[in-house]
Amino acid sequence: MGHDTAEWVFVAIVIAVLCYVGVDSWMIQKEVEDVPADAEIIKVTGQQWYWSFEHPNGTKEVNTLHLKVNHAYKFEIYSRDVMHSFNIPDWVVFEDAVPGHTNHAWFAPNEVGTYPIQCREYCGLLHYNMRGSLVVEPNT
Amino acid sequence: MKTTLIAISIIAVLGVALVSQIHFAHAQLSQTTSAKQYLNLRAEVWNEFFRMTTAAFTVGAIVSGTMIWLVWRFRESNPKNKSPTKWEHLEDPTAGSYEEEGH
Repeated sequence: MGHDTAEWVFVAIVIAVLCYVGVDSWMIQKEVEDVPADAEIIKVTGQQWYWSFEHPNGTKEVNTLHLKVNHAYKFEIYSRDVMHSFNIPDWVVFEDAVPGHTNHAWFAPNEVGTYPIQCREYCGLLHYNMRGSLVVEPNT
Repeated sequence: MKTTLIAISIIAVLGVALVSQIHFAHAQLSQTTSAKQYLNLRAEVWNEFFRMTTAAFTVGAIVSGTMIWLVWRFRESNPKNKSPTKWEHLEDPTAGSYEEEGH
């Protein structure tokens, strides 16, 4: 086996692995961003220093969000003042709240419980306290 | 050269094709279950993380393995290095210069 062959085999293996990484990441991102058709839209507003939520029926909540288990929800996230970031760590929901722009995220909780919501973008003096709770209730 | 390029293309196409197959199979499986079965984002994201970690470690192992092999193979004390390779035309590397040897 000449030097050329060894080098090309090396290059081929690395290119193959990188192709795998690219295609796999692209497909997973496509899957993850595909919002279910029956997802309920929740408007999420970040402002210094609390979260407010609006359900499709007009019900509003501050800092505590009540949702039903085994149901899909799509968040429309925006901010009234500075940059915030809406994060529910337990459900891998993590999206910036940007003034003048609406961002989207979705999830479908399949376990009942209470989960923390927190701001993940430094947004001023009380950023550390910009927390909320997600309460996933049984679907009765 | 031409053969190698063809080989690289085949490997790349195979990689792409295999990955797609895995996802198509996954999608078909999900269709056979309940319509209310949503994608488990946590599982998908963590699975992706572990797959990417495996790929990163594979590339790391190939690159570092090659470097270790290079250092071992071309060390001065390796008996295989007693006689110069065809790329080393200088009879005495400590004497003269590349310019004088016409390189």
